[in-house]
Amino acid sequence: MVSAELRKLLGLPTAWIGIVLGTLLAPVIVLLNAPYVRDLIAAGTDTSDLGLQDLGIGLIGPMVLGVVVISSEYTSTGPDAPRARQLTTTLAAMPDRLRLLTAKSVALVVVAAAQAAVTAAATLTLTHVLHPHVPVPAPARIAAAVLYWTLIALLSFAITLITRNGIVPLTFLIINSTVVSVSYLLTKVTDLAAYLPDIVGPQMFLTTADFPVRIAPLTAGLVMTAWIAALLTIGAILFHRRDP
Amino acid sequence: MITIDRVSRRKGRAQILHDVTFEARPGRVTGFLGQNGAGKTSTLRVMLGLDRPQQGTALICGRPYRDLRRPLTTVGALLDGSGAHRARTAGAHLRWVAASNGLPGSRVREVLDVVGLAGDARKRAGRYSLGMSRRLGLAAALLGDPSVLVLDEPVNGLDPAGIRWMREFLRDQAARGRTVLLSSHLMGELASIADDVVVIHQGRILVQGTLAEVTGGHATLEDAFFALTGSSW
Repeated sequence: MVSAELRKLLGLPTAWIGIVLGTLLAPVIVLLNAPYVRDLIAAGTDTSDLGLQDLGIGLIGPMVLGVVVISSEYTSTGPDAPRARQLTTTLAAMPDRLRLLTAKSVALVVVAAAQAAVTAAATLTLTHVLHPHVPVPAPARIAAAVLYWTLIALLSFAITLITRNGIVPLTFLIINSTVVSVSYLLTKVTDLAAYLPDIVGPQMFLTTADFPVRIAPLTAGLVMTAWIAALLTIGAILFHRRDP
Repeated sequence: MITIDRVSRRKGRAQILHDVTFEARPGRVTGFLGQNGAGKTSTLRVMLGLDRPQQGTALICGRPYRDLRRPLTTVGALLDGSGAHRARTAGAHLRWVAASNGLPGSRVREVLDVVGLAGDARKRAGRYSLGMSRRLGLAAALLGDPSVLVLDEPVNGLDPAGIRWMREFLRDQAARGRTVLLSSHLMGELASIADDVVVIHQGRILVQGTLAEVTGGHATLEDAFFALTGSSW
């Protein structure tokens, strides 16, 4: 069943947009920012997050992957049968809802983690080549960044499972991570917003960014995982109860 | 063998199925006849484990659909449309369906040949005509070489040659001992293919039996249907 879900995900053109964009964006930004970063290094700025911080822009990748893995099930198959969706075929082939969602999650984690590993390797290698005197981050921090990337895919998956539509969550997730961070604005209102998944998550591997509340990496990872477990549980219960 | 036993289903406030009970037997084509909105699709969706009834059971070869581990090897179903994501090619669609039930990839080519789509396997499902979409849906239903076929309005959108092909194909499947259940609102078409007929009207089964029994003293199945339902155009 996991292999079927992998085939489904990798057979979607929109998934490939996420894979290509997500993998290329961060290294491209590192390349474009190189002269500016050189000046910062010369000015004595703290460089301990260099490379890892640049991965943020690539999160569009796991967001797209997490959303389309579910939203593609709900897309109309065509104008001839506007109410027909791939989900009918999926449930006819795999009627056990829980097993189906597990297979989907595993397939998503495999693709997102592979993308994260490749992107992190490319981004950090490029950073090292461009700025050879800056120390490479510790392996544990790199692993935490890969974990965060994968958890973002699962977060997008869980939200879409609840909304059953890809456009709204994807628009929100991308705007929130690029244009205006609603989560970040909320941290100006209340310190509790520091525990929102996209604010707490980066504390697993970033040290110098402007966080409203300092949270230890392990705690940050646990909080983020708890968010995803809660949203996935709600999504799974709804998926089980609602008629497709 | 399909056994539907006192299935009732509400959707919101509307009672869409009332105590629906009937059987479809191996080696026979069973026609499920009713007007649009009579409850045909709702019954088939309950049978396939897609929707849950408030009451009653739907068994396929003695088991509820949701309990089947590799359902495609027991039941092949054709519902609305092709069932494929628009952006996927027919071949890619059938390959994931095959993989989901542990079926060999070689089955994809075989079923594409059976439904006459071998030449269009690389085309995206969204570019298929209505008739081709139905054939693709049927190809997916045949992947697991199932002993039961459930088809919702299978001839909708087919051209005359396609309708004739479908009729002969389903007769042949029944002749091989398979259980074939097809829903339709086309009475002439149903009369030309079905051994047994089940008539549903406003969510209730009105009559079931062999084609001759259901037609009774009327000249055609259509006459019998309108006499039974008391409805007219």
